Amino acid sequence: MAPENILALEAFNLKKVYKRGAEEIVAVDDVSLSVKKGDFVSFIGPSGSGKTTLINILGCLDNATSGSLKIGGETVFAENKSLSESELTRIRRRVFGYIFQKFYLVPTLTVLENVLLPFAFFQKAEATADPMDILTFLGLEKRVAHRPSELSGGEMQRVAIARALVNKPEILLADEPTGNLDSKRSEEIGGVLKQLNAKEGLTVLLVTHNPSLAKVADRTISLHDGRIA
Amino acid sequence: MTKKISIYQVAYKNLLRKKTRTALTILGIGLSAWVLISLLGFNRGYESALNKDIDNMGFQVLVTAKGCPYEAATLMLKGGTGLRYMKESVIADILKHKEVQQVTPQLMAAVFDPNKGESGGINAYLGVDPVTFPAMKSYLKFKQGGWFTQSDALEAVVGYEAAELEQREVGDKMLIPDKNIEFKVVGVLARSGTADDGTIFMPLKTVQKIFDKEGLITAAGIKVDKNANMTELENKLYDLPDVQVVSMAQVKTTIMSLVSTAKVMVFSIALIAILIAMLGVINTILMSVLERYQEIGIIKSMGAMPWDVFRMIWTETVILCLFGGAIGIGIAFALSKITDVLIRRLLPYTPTGSLIAINSRLGLITLGVVLGIGLVSGIYPAWRAARVRPLESIRSEGD
Repeated sequence: MAPENILALEAFNLKKVYKRGAEEIVAVDDVSLSVKKGDFVSFIGPSGSGKTTLINILGCLDNATSGSLKIGGETVFAENKSLSESELTRIRRRVFGYIFQKFYLVPTLTVLENVLLPFAFFQKAEATADPMDILTFLGLEKRVAHRPSELSGGEMQRVAIARALVNKPEILLADEPTGNLDSKRSEEIGGVLKQLNAKEGLTVLLVTHNPSLAKVADRTISLHDGRIA
Repeated sequence: MTKKISIYQVAYKNLLRKKTRTALTILGIGLSAWVLISLLGFNRGYESALNKDIDNMGFQVLVTAKGCPYEAATLMLKGGTGLRYMKESVIADILKHKEVQQVTPQLMAAVFDPNKGESGGINAYLGVDPVTFPAMKSYLKFKQGGWFTQSDALEAVVGYEAAELEQREVGDKMLIPDKNIEFKVVGVLARSGTADDGTIFMPLKTVQKIFDKEGLITAAGIKVDKNANMTELENKLYDLPDVQVVSMAQVKTTIMSLVSTAKVMVFSIALIAILIAMLGVINTILMSVLERYQEIGIIKSMGAMPWDVFRMIWTETVILCLFGGAIGIGIAFALSKITDVLIRRLLPYTPTGSLIAINSRLGLITLGVVLGIGLVSGIYPAWRAARVRPLESIRSEGD
């Protein structure tokens, strides 16, 4: 379990403005929040509320227009200083694991090969856990040699979760992970995320439209028009 | 159980997604590699076959009656039509030069045979001197029989292929159409791999008599002293009236200049084939990158740096080219005989040996060229893939 009260990330006055011609669209508006290590936080809100934009900034997939972000106590970016794509990549591969609505499994690779895919590009020194243990934890031990086309939607998302975990991330970002699944499979994935948080102490940030899925988190943050409601 | 996967494995398996497209691209590269190695093999093979033919002539200089140099070159190597004659006394004049070791007179005669093939054909007879000719062509071996019994006998020595074509053996009779004269086959030559295989040899005097060309010859083959100055001798021979001097070097240059036109054509075809294959590779890999746009973004979100993605896509190109190159080279080795036949149809004159000389060195060169082309073709698609931003792919999911 993660030690209590150590901050996984802190955001101050984050703002993200997109320009569409002369018009400025404020996707994230003055958001400040902190997430402790081992927290399970869900972000909920209607479409266009800015939750995905916010999680992209928190997950170092994008720069904020203004504001600052600290990850593990270290300033990642501060006022008016944005990071290059390579700098963002270095932080991402050290800190984060991602799962998305679509699974993006490589159809010609087996389940195990898909899980090992991140190792083709980067392997953290501390990522010594046996990928088979992760697959067993996720109930996929009998599916390792199968191809994605032979799996159900829920199984495919669990493979995507295993892939996100293989490099031992500090924070797992899940953006609408059940968007392509029925309610039973959604519940199943919610349960997996909860287990990872409770048993492994993994910090989880979850974006969802689904209020019942959001309830599996310890804390829910509602967003409206880019602001915390 | 494996706990690793390499970029190369991922690249290879990526190509298996669209098997037909991958197979067609490999086929395109394979065909280009086939054309390329065959061309390189032809470049090598043609010259060596021509050299072999010239070496096997037994003489280094041919003197003919004045006329077209191309005809003379063809006459020298193959025996041709459009014959011009010179006096036999020229032999004595040639022998006066100290550089000349031996001279052999030849008289080529041709008649139309209405029974040859479907619509008739030409039968050619080469009258040779029974003393000097066998001495110069010491490499000729007999399958059956031997040279003529007398210098004016109605006898013939038939080349290996000519004997097969006419279905004649020693002791058989042959008829000269039009003249209605029969002669006897006294020897059948073993296969020499030269133009002699298709020739019917008769004593010079016999041919002169049958074709009313007494005292005339069409050519004189000259064996020159090894240490002689060829240019000096050629200049001296040109002092003889109404003759044309064709040296081995000249023949080679003449033939090679004729062939160069065909070579340019074949090189152009190879260049076009390579360009098409290159575009095919770019198209295949670019399509594959665009189809995997989101997936590449996810790979980058996993921690892949731009260079990793570039390398992965580049590897896909290299794999395509390796397979294509290997298949093309394999086809070239397997079908070199068919390619030989095709090229023979394209060229005005071809030597008798193998025209396509492919070896493992040429195979490696071709593979290197194909790989080089692949690496260049892969740059743009790989660069496009390396530039994909993970955010763009994720944004396309909505919200």
